[in-house]
Amino acid sequence: MIRYLITRLASMVVMIVLATLVVFLISHLVPADPILAQLGDMQAANPAMVAAYRARWGLDLPVWQQYLIFLEGLVHGNFGVSISTQRPVLDDILQYAPATIELSTIAFLLSVIVGVPLGVIAAVRRDSWIDHVARLLSLIGVSAPTFWLAFVVLALFYGGLQIAPGPGRLDVVHLPPPFVTGLYLVDSALAGQWDVFRNAAAHLILPSTVLAATTLGLITRTTRAAMLEALGQDYVRVGRAKGLKERTIIIRHALPNALIPVVTLGGLAYAVLLSGTVLTETIFSWPGLGRYTFRSAVSLDFPAIMGITFLVAVVYLVINLIVDLSYALLDPRVVRQ
Amino acid sequence: MPGLRTIAREKSGRSALRMLVGGLVVAAFAAMAPAQAQDKQVLVLGVDISDARNFDPARMADYSSPITNGAVYDSLVTQKPGAYEDVVPSLATGWERLDDGQRIRFTLRDDVKFWDGSPLTAEDVKFSLDRLLNVKDQPAVYAQNLEKTEVVDEHTVDLYIKNPAEPIMINLAAPAFAIYSRAMTEAQGGVSTPGAEQEDKATQWLNQNSAGTGPYHMVQWERNAQIMLQKNPHYWGGEVPFERVVIRHIGDSAAQLLALENGDIDAAFNLTTEQLATLEDSADIDIARGLSLDYVYMTLTSSPELNEALGKTENRLAVAHAIDYDGIIEHLMGGNAVRPVNFLPIGVGGSTEELLERIGYREDLDKSRELLAAAGNPDGFSFQLSYANAAIVGTSYQLLAQKIQSDLARVGITVELNPMDQVQLRTQYTGGETQSVITFWNPPSPEPQLWASASIERVAKRVRWEVPQEVKDVVAAAGAEPEPAKRAELYTEYTEMLQAQGNYILLFQPIYRIATSQAIEDFNLTAAGWQVQMGDIKPSQ
Repeated sequence: MIRYLITRLASMVVMIVLATLVVFLISHLVPADPILAQLGDMQAANPAMVAAYRARWGLDLPVWQQYLIFLEGLVHGNFGVSISTQRPVLDDILQYAPATIELSTIAFLLSVIVGVPLGVIAAVRRDSWIDHVARLLSLIGVSAPTFWLAFVVLALFYGGLQIAPGPGRLDVVHLPPPFVTGLYLVDSALAGQWDVFRNAAAHLILPSTVLAATTLGLITRTTRAAMLEALGQDYVRVGRAKGLKERTIIIRHALPNALIPVVTLGGLAYAVLLSGTVLTETIFSWPGLGRYTFRSAVSLDFPAIMGITFLVAVVYLVINLIVDLSYALLDPRVVRQ
Repeated sequence: MPGLRTIAREKSGRSALRMLVGGLVVAAFAAMAPAQAQDKQVLVLGVDISDARNFDPARMADYSSPITNGAVYDSLVTQKPGAYEDVVPSLATGWERLDDGQRIRFTLRDDVKFWDGSPLTAEDVKFSLDRLLNVKDQPAVYAQNLEKTEVVDEHTVDLYIKNPAEPIMINLAAPAFAIYSRAMTEAQGGVSTPGAEQEDKATQWLNQNSAGTGPYHMVQWERNAQIMLQKNPHYWGGEVPFERVVIRHIGDSAAQLLALENGDIDAAFNLTTEQLATLEDSADIDIARGLSLDYVYMTLTSSPELNEALGKTENRLAVAHAIDYDGIIEHLMGGNAVRPVNFLPIGVGGSTEELLERIGYREDLDKSRELLAAAGNPDGFSFQLSYANAAIVGTSYQLLAQKIQSDLARVGITVELNPMDQVQLRTQYTGGETQSVITFWNPPSPEPQLWASASIERVAKRVRWEVPQEVKDVVAAAGAEPEPAKRAELYTEYTEMLQAQGNYILLFQPIYRIATSQAIEDFNLTAAGWQVQMGDIKPSQ
C-alpha cells in the first residue's frame, strides 16, 4: 500500500511537470504579444515602457529560460506575479478560489445527495414514474447549455418571480464576513453573522443548482445503470432467497457494489465543477476562478495561466488518487490484488 | 409497445407536475433571502468592472476604473460634460503662463480638505505630479511634456513644461493627473522622488482606499465583486447626496437589466442596443445619454506589398465611397451614434456634423466605380479585413464586417473576413501587417493633439503611410495655436489631408446610454474620461 502510494505520488509529479510544459509551450506559440494585452495604445508605442514591461516579467528571455524560472519558482512555492493584476498569482488564486470552491462544493453535494438516491430509486422502481422523472431531469441537465440554463433560472426566479436574490455572492446591504476561509457560509457561521449566512446561502441556490444540473444527470444515470447491474447479480438473488428485507438487500448488498463507477465519476465530476465554472460565474457575476482563468487566457497572462494550470493539474490528480484509494474501502478485493 | 408509450406519456404528464412542485420548493427556500430594502442613502451602480486592475492614479490604465477615480479625486482643472475644447477651474482657481509658456503658475483654492480633514496645499500637488512622473507606469506617458513641479507658497505651484508648443491643459483634467494627499500616501509607503519606480509601495493601499478631495472616498475594492465609496464629510463642493456608493460588478448585460428592473441597482452601464430598445417606453426607467469621444474605425493599408490594389489611393477612396454609413448607424446602433469626418471625433478640434456634410465621405456608388476605373481596377479587387471576435458598444465586429462586406460587393470589391483573437489582432495591426482592420479608439483625454499626432505617427506606421512633412507641420501648428477658431481651422486642414489619403474610414461614434431608475436624478454622462459626474447624482425629490 505504501509502495503504491509512493509510486502514485512520483508519477503525479511527472504528470504535473508535463501538464505545465504542454500549456507553457502552447501559450507561447500563440502569435500574439502579451505586452499588447496590458499596455495602452500610446504606451505600446513607447520603447522604454515596452522594454520595462518585458524585463519586469522576464518576457525578454528565451522561452526555455522562462520555463525554468517558472519551475524554479514552483519549487519555492512561488507562482510569480500576474502580468495583468500585478500581484502574486498565489494571492489571486487564494482570493478567487474560495468563491469557486464554495459554489462547486455545494453543487457537487447537491448532485450527489439528489443524484445517488434518485438513481437508486430509478433502478429499483424501473419504468415507474420516478424513473421517468429521473430520466427527464438527467436529460435536461446534461443537454441544456449552461449559459442558457443559468439565464433562464435567473430570469425566472430573480427577474420574474422575484423570490431569489440576484447576481453576486451577497446583497449590497451585507458586507462580507471577516476572512477566515473565504467561504462565506463557513466564515459567517464562525462569526455568528446569521443574516449574512442566510443571504450567502440564498445567493448560492441558483448558481449551484445550474452548476449541479450537468453532474446530477450523469450521476443519476450512472447510479441507475450500476444498480440495475448489481440487482441482477447472483448474491442479490441469494439474499432474496434467504428472505432478507428488500431494503437490506438494496442498501447493504447492491449499493456498495454499484457505487464503484459512481465514485469514479463523482471524483471527475467534482474536478470538472471546480475547473469549469466560467459560464455560470459570468452570468451570476460570481467572483471566482473561472472568470480569472478566462481573463488570464485571453490576455496571455503567462504567470497566471501557469499557476492555474498547476492548480488544475493538482486538483485532478489528487481527486483521482482519492478516488482510487476509496476503491479499497468499497471493494476489499482491490487491496488484495 | 403502443401500450407502453401511452403509459409513458401519462406518466410524463404527472412528472411535469412533480417538477413544478419541486421547483416551488426550491423557490420557497430561495425566498429566505431578505427583501432588498432600497435605502436611498446608498447609490448602487451596476457596471462590468472585470477589467479593473488598479486604482492608483499613477498606474491606472483601464476602462472602468476612472468611474471610481473621478468620484474620489479632483485635478487642478476639470471639464464640463459636452464642453471638451476647454478646461474650467477645479482645485486651481486660476493659472497663468510665465517665461514664454515654459512655466504655468497655478493658484490653489484655500478651502479644500482631503477626506481625512487635512488641508490641501501645494506640497500635495507637487507630490502627486512627481509621483506620476517617477513611478513611470502607464499614465506617465501622458505627462511626457511635464518637466517638473515647484512649490511657490502654500497655495501656489509652478508646472515646468518641456515644449510650450504642445498643449497640456486638457491633459491636466484627466484622471492620471489626480491630486492626492502626500501625508496619507507617504504613510502607506508612497514615494515621489526618482527611484519611485522601485521604491514606491503605496499601490496596494491605493487600490483599497483613496487619498483625494472628491465627493466620495474609497473604502473597499473586492476584485470582480464590488467597489465601495463613502461620503467625504469635508467635501469642498458642498453637501454630498449619498452616504455610500456601491459599484457592483455585474458582468452579464441581461443580469444587469434584471437587477435594474428589480430595483437592486440604480443604473445599468452595459446594456446592449436591443435591451435599451425594450426600455425606451418604460415608465420606470430613464435613459441617460451622452455623446462619447470613442469611435469605431476601419483602416486600409497603403502598402502595395500587402495588397497591390489598396496601394493605390483611388482604390482606397473607392472603398470609402461604397459603404452605407447611415445603414450602419441606423441598423446596428439603433440610431444612437454619429459619424466624425476623420480621426478627430465630433466635439473636439472643430470636428462637427456640419464638417461631415461638407468634406466627409458619403455613400456614392457611381463615384466609387469611377475611382475603381481610374485606378485601373474597373471590375473591383479583393482584400482581407481583420477584426476581433468581440462585442463592441452594443453590437459586434462580426456584424459590422459582414455589413461592410455586403456593401462593398455592390461595386465589385470582395472582402475576405478574417476574425481573430483580440491580442493577436493588435499584434498584427501594430506590427503593420494587416491589409485592413476594424477596431476601436478610446482616448485618454479630450486633447485633440492626442488623436492628431497618433494618426500621423504610430497609426500611420500601421497603415504604412509615409506622412509628408506638410501634414506634420499643420498638426504641430494646430497644437501650438491658442486661439480656438484658428486651431479648428488648422485641424480642418489636417482632416482634409487625411480624407484625400483614404487610409482611415470612420464608421461611427456612439452615443453612450445608461439606464437609470427613477429613484435618482442628475445622472450626467461625460466623455472627459470618468463616464459619469458622480458628485451630481442625487436621490429623486
